[in-house]
Amino acid sequence: MIRFENVTKVYDQKARPALDSVNLEIDRGEFAFLVGASGSGKSTFLRLVLKEDRATSGAVYVAGQNVAKISSWRVPRLRRGIGVVFQDFRLLPQKNVFANVAFAMQVIGKSRSVIRDTVPEVLKTVGLEGKEHRMPHELSGGEQQRVAIARAVVNRPGILLADEPTGNLDPTTSMGIMGILDKINQNGTTVVMATHDDDIVNEMRKRVVELKNGVVIRDEARALYTSMIPVVGQSRRLKDASGRDATETGLPGEGEGQR
Amino acid sequence: MRLAFILGEIGSGLRRNLSMVVSVILVTFVSLTFVGAAGMLQMQINQMKGYWYDKVQVAIFLCSEGSTAAGCASGPVTAEQQASLNSLLESPAVAQYVNDFQFESKEEAYNHFKDQFSNSPIVDSVTPDQLPASFRINMKDPEKYQIISETFSSQPGVETVIDQRQLLERLFSVMNGASLVAVSIAGVMIVCAILLIATTIRLSAFSRRRETGIMRLVGASKTVIQLPFILEGVIAAVIGAALASATLWAVAHFFLGEFMSQQYPDTAFISSGQTLILVPALLILGASLAGISSLLTLRRYLRV
Repeated sequence: MIRFENVTKVYDQKARPALDSVNLEIDRGEFAFLVGASGSGKSTFLRLVLKEDRATSGAVYVAGQNVAKISSWRVPRLRRGIGVVFQDFRLLPQKNVFANVAFAMQVIGKSRSVIRDTVPEVLKTVGLEGKEHRMPHELSGGEQQRVAIARAVVNRPGILLADEPTGNLDPTTSMGIMGILDKINQNGTTVVMATHDDDIVNEMRKRVVELKNGVVIRDEARALYTSMIPVVGQSRRLKDASGRDATETGLPGEGEGQR
Repeated sequence: MRLAFILGEIGSGLRRNLSMVVSVILVTFVSLTFVGAAGMLQMQINQMKGYWYDKVQVAIFLCSEGSTAAGCASGPVTAEQQASLNSLLESPAVAQYVNDFQFESKEEAYNHFKDQFSNSPIVDSVTPDQLPASFRINMKDPEKYQIISETFSSQPGVETVIDQRQLLERLFSVMNGASLVAVSIAGVMIVCAILLIATTIRLSAFSRRRETGIMRLVGASKTVIQLPFILEGVIAAVIGAALASATLWAVAHFFLGEFMSQQYPDTAFISSGQTLILVPALLILGASLAGISSLLTLRRYLRV
């Protein structure tokens, strides 16, 4: 569903690349965590999938299409196939819950009757039935994030990208959000979630892709937030990962082997 | 659905940015009023030129009943007098200065008069009898007017010889100067309008960056995202253009039509109906100004 082939992204020629020769494939229906410190390249990864930025080199494939080859007037179509959720919810403060979710359908020209049918259904999926007419400021953080998730999936995208969706939430609420994301994933949507939240990653036991300084240093199925591979090995890899030369030979292959 | 959505977006944009929208309306109003004023001055010049102005330079008016000029002592011009004037015009001595000439009968004079003064009440009180017949002469060299004047003034049956250009040219140069000033002011004001529209659109795009960001993410097309902004500018400019058109119409109707035409009944003024020709031009000019400037602004400030 998402495939990175040798993708490098350089924002500033003098600094190190934000992503450095990343090879990664996320299959249809998969649930993957993207972990790593701030600045490790998680957000860049998500931006490249959305074609918010162009890769400096290498190719990004989304749903079989090379995004570099999508002309600018067809980018909206690409984005309709991808839902996005952010840490800060990004709801429209002057619209109520229903209108916030409906907005995503209005702007792509869905008819009023379709909106009337679909929005309550999606709100039910995220556990917000009966709160259609609340304003965002009347909701808790967790509820606001549920609205944001409802908006992201209301057009039934094949991919859901979540950029630290639980970053502003307490652990219990976060688990509720994860339950929703898991449910969405089980309905067939590919979910990629960038996160710092080790409890959640450890609880979910899904695939974990760890980035450090723009390099994939770990790619494990059913993994924990920190590596299960002995510390000796990890420290060696971390050292290699910080140098650009060492990465090309060692790491992506290792990730491949564990998938 | 999408149309209703876009209209809703426009409405909320106009409301949120009201003071800027009002200033765009006023600036386009003032600038287009000046553009229209220049247009009206040109229309007025054309009106005053009448039927003959661009075709001939010199008019020889023939005696009619009641003429008091010295040459008309023997009463209105006779057929023989007219024939001899005609042959004099065709004689080599005169013909070398003349491109061609035409005879305007009383009836024709009346028709031309009716056309020129169609907006004036004077037309009802004039009959063909009161208007003199004339020879209208197109000169090879308009400066040689004096020769024609000397040759014909003393001929029997000639009331007077008039160099039309001399009468009107000075007035027209003043009016042309005034329209030039109006166009220059309009030019400056249009630059103001363009910059103001650009700023307004920028503010509008900034105040709605949350919405446009979300629209981008959920895959709204460029048109759906940008159209509300462009139309906001266009609507404001069109309102300004409509106000300008109404002002010009009011000037033609009340100032020229009711005041000036009473003061100067012998001058042909344009009618308020004629100014309506300017309306579509002003509307299109206003709309395209706003459309183009907002399109250029959005390209820089609203990434899609």
